[in-house]
Amino acid sequence: MSDQGIKSKPTYGKIAGDKAARYQLLLVEGAEIPAEVLAEGVDPSAFETWTVAHASALPAAPMMDEAPGTVRPFRSASHMFSALEERLDRETMGLRFYAVGAEPFLWDAFNIASAAGLSQQEMQFAHVGPKARRIYCVHCRTLMDGVTTSIVTCTGCGAPLFVRDHFSKRLASYMGVQVDAEAPGEVPAAEELYK
Amino acid sequence: MNAGTLSVRVREITELAPTLKRFSFEPAHGGEFPTAPAGGHVMLTLRDGDKVMKNAYSLVSAPGQRARYEIIVRKVSQSRGGSAFLHSKVAPGDVLDMAMPGSLFSLASTAKKHLLIGGGIGITPMLSFLAELKSRGGRCEMHQLSSLDEAPVFERLLAPFSDDAEIAIHTGGRAAFDLAGLLARQPLGTHVYVCGPHSLMDAVVSTAAALGWPKGKVHKESFGAAAGGLPFKAILKRSGIEVEVKENETLLEAIEAAGVAASCLCRGGACGECATAVVDGELDHRDDFLSDEEKAAGKLVMLCVSRARGPRLVLDL
Repeated sequence: MSDQGIKSKPTYGKIAGDKAARYQLLLVEGAEIPAEVLAEGVDPSAFETWTVAHASALPAAPMMDEAPGTVRPFRSASHMFSALEERLDRETMGLRFYAVGAEPFLWDAFNIASAAGLSQQEMQFAHVGPKARRIYCVHCRTLMDGVTTSIVTCTGCGAPLFVRDHFSKRLASYMGVQVDAEAPGEVPAAEELYK
Repeated sequence: MNAGTLSVRVREITELAPTLKRFSFEPAHGGEFPTAPAGGHVMLTLRDGDKVMKNAYSLVSAPGQRARYEIIVRKVSQSRGGSAFLHSKVAPGDVLDMAMPGSLFSLASTAKKHLLIGGGIGITPMLSFLAELKSRGGRCEMHQLSSLDEAPVFERLLAPFSDDAEIAIHTGGRAAFDLAGLLARQPLGTHVYVCGPHSLMDAVVSTAAALGWPKGKVHKESFGAAAGGLPFKAILKRSGIEVEVKENETLLEAIEAAGVAASCLCRGGACGECATAVVDGELDHRDDFLSDEEKAAGKLVMLCVSRARGPRLVLDL
């Protein structure tokens, strides 16, 4: 039941870096780079790294240098993404962009980088953290974060939704489709699948 | 031939420079041409007595222009005959066979900016790109390398686009053209397109790679790769014939002259249409289609540009 055979379900690797890059920027949804996301032999001091502290108390003089080996903490992912848009807007060709975190974080980062003109050849993603899904209700367009079950009730329209593996990069979410559309009221029991 | 053939009448020939002529064609039987892709090319069949030549040329007319197709042809001193024939023997009113336009060099629809680099006659596909980008409103920068005496010609050809694109013509030679500086200052999402001498295209590819450009954002138009080489014998196993390939002709031309219709499209080592299985013989690969691994394996050859490295080559043809 966990593999629905749908090709749009993303797969992830490790951050291998790119020796051909002019400059490498790594975003981490957390305070530190988890060791297991780096491919063998990759030295993170080759990257400029941005982290999410999930805290309002940042160092008094936060590191603002733009150079390989520097680590710049942000209060939150939203704080980081707003700085990212501004940064990519003045970047030049030769940049490689990497992101490490849970799926909604990775694909939000992907969409910002794509809008700035980066192609998939210039990006790498590693998935760590919870497997909880962001779900898009295809009926009422409500987005729900943190879904861990095979069936979820839409917070927008109340429909019982089947959580598909069908993934939209643009929406950075999996599709939720009304599970009892054919036989109203026949809703299978929800299973805890995505933790 | 994998596509249909058009019958075209030469409507007008304009001399742009001593070695440059623009040919304007119209459909010989009236009506309109198919819409050509931006950066597309056509293949003309030229008959000079018994000699049949097939040459590919980039279209310079705007892609939406369906009443006329236009090409610009340079008369080359070491020409294998096609361009010299067009320059000296083709006149307005003549009817020629032309293969349907093909495209191996296209604009990336996701690009944030297009950087065009032309060297000499390599300006031709860029003129079609510029026309397309003008109508689409795409952000664009064009650099044309030129000899001093031809600069006014290229300036006139580029003038219609000067309101919509940053255009620069460089006459100081390659050494004075700051390619690395140009590529280094491009914003994210730029695609670069180059057409011109191989040395220029190689310089753009290697300089871009050194600056960290991904391969997918570097595009080159590879025509005119087919210089000659040592003569050799090609044995066409299935046809049961032997073909002598002379030093100034290509394998494809020799095979066509022997009456065997080999499939082909770009005749410049770019499209892969003429890929042919090799039974025996060492190869001198000169195409841009096969990967390094495929070239090393030696199982396939591009008839239009590649040759034998030894005295004989056995083909499954």
